[in-house]
Amino acid sequence: MLSLAARSGAFSPYLSATSYGVAGQLKPLVSGAVLQGDKVLLDVKRPFLSRETLSGQAANGALSATAGINGPATVRFLHSDVTVPEFSDYRRAEVADSRKSSRPSDDARKGFSYLVTGVTTVATAYVAKNVVSQFVSSMSASADVLAMSKIEVKLSDIPEGKNMCFKWRGKPLFIRHRTPKEIEQEAQVDLSELRDPQHDLDRVKKPEWAILIGVCTHLGCVPIANAGDFGGYYCPCHGSHYDASGRIRKGPAPLNLEVPYYEFPSEDLVVVG
Amino acid sequence: MSLLNTVYRSVFRRTSTFTLSIVLGVVLFERAFDQGADALFEHLNRGKLWKHIKHQYEQNED
Repeated sequence: MLSLAARSGAFSPYLSATSYGVAGQLKPLVSGAVLQGDKVLLDVKRPFLSRETLSGQAANGALSATAGINGPATVRFLHSDVTVPEFSDYRRAEVADSRKSSRPSDDARKGFSYLVTGVTTVATAYVAKNVVSQFVSSMSASADVLAMSKIEVKLSDIPEGKNMCFKWRGKPLFIRHRTPKEIEQEAQVDLSELRDPQHDLDRVKKPEWAILIGVCTHLGCVPIANAGDFGGYYCPCHGSHYDASGRIRKGPAPLNLEVPYYEFPSEDLVVVG
Repeated sequence: MSLLNTVYRSVFRRTSTFTLSIVLGVVLFERAFDQGADALFEHLNRGKLWKHIKHQYEQNED
């Protein structure tokens, strides 16, 4: 291998991956007196007369330097001038004496370390939980938005057989007080003849009150109440006919009028939203 | 130190019990810390909060 490195000409310094021992790089701040250098051990001009002549010429004994193409070239500094630091200030009292066994104080030392870890984890988890819940709750609607999203309607103001329109979340809201005749008529509609089959009782909570969003499911016009062929709603834009339950019966609209979420907190009050 | 020994051997030694102790610790710590902070706030603001002066404005419904 050495011969290969020697034969490779100009590349030989790069191909020989050798481990050298080099004097430490720390230099004294004040340069000392110049000393006589050690005598060079190698005498290159010494003639090779016998095998013994090689001593002093080449390494003998155990291999102290290796060379190879793939081997990592390392430079090892001889830090003979660096003193080992004193760590006793950082050691715990139980292990300050290196001659005593550390086994008896093992549990207490580990216990302290784990206690610190555990307390830190608890504090971190508390902070993280509060930060996350703050960001998550900032995504929910604020109280004023929630207050605007509901509408309260006094039902005794709507006479029987009349449809009233309110503005709710920017859309028209129809509340229709249906007559017993209308209720019976809508309950008897055969579901097979409907485009969007839905029974009347699935669309209302109390049969007297039909509560619908007044947006035509075709292209979003506002239908006219108490008009059309089926006595419910009629959309003037493209001629969709809805019945008194808001179901599409005739015309281009594909779906029934939407029913919002609503509830009756008392006999005389409806809250939509 | 013997207390720490006992705690280490019974709780911290196994990862499962260590984690459990952290979870329980968070629950208890959150409750104690939040309520303590609220109590301190109310103590420092005694007489200024609505619930302290509410009775002055309530009318008896007799």
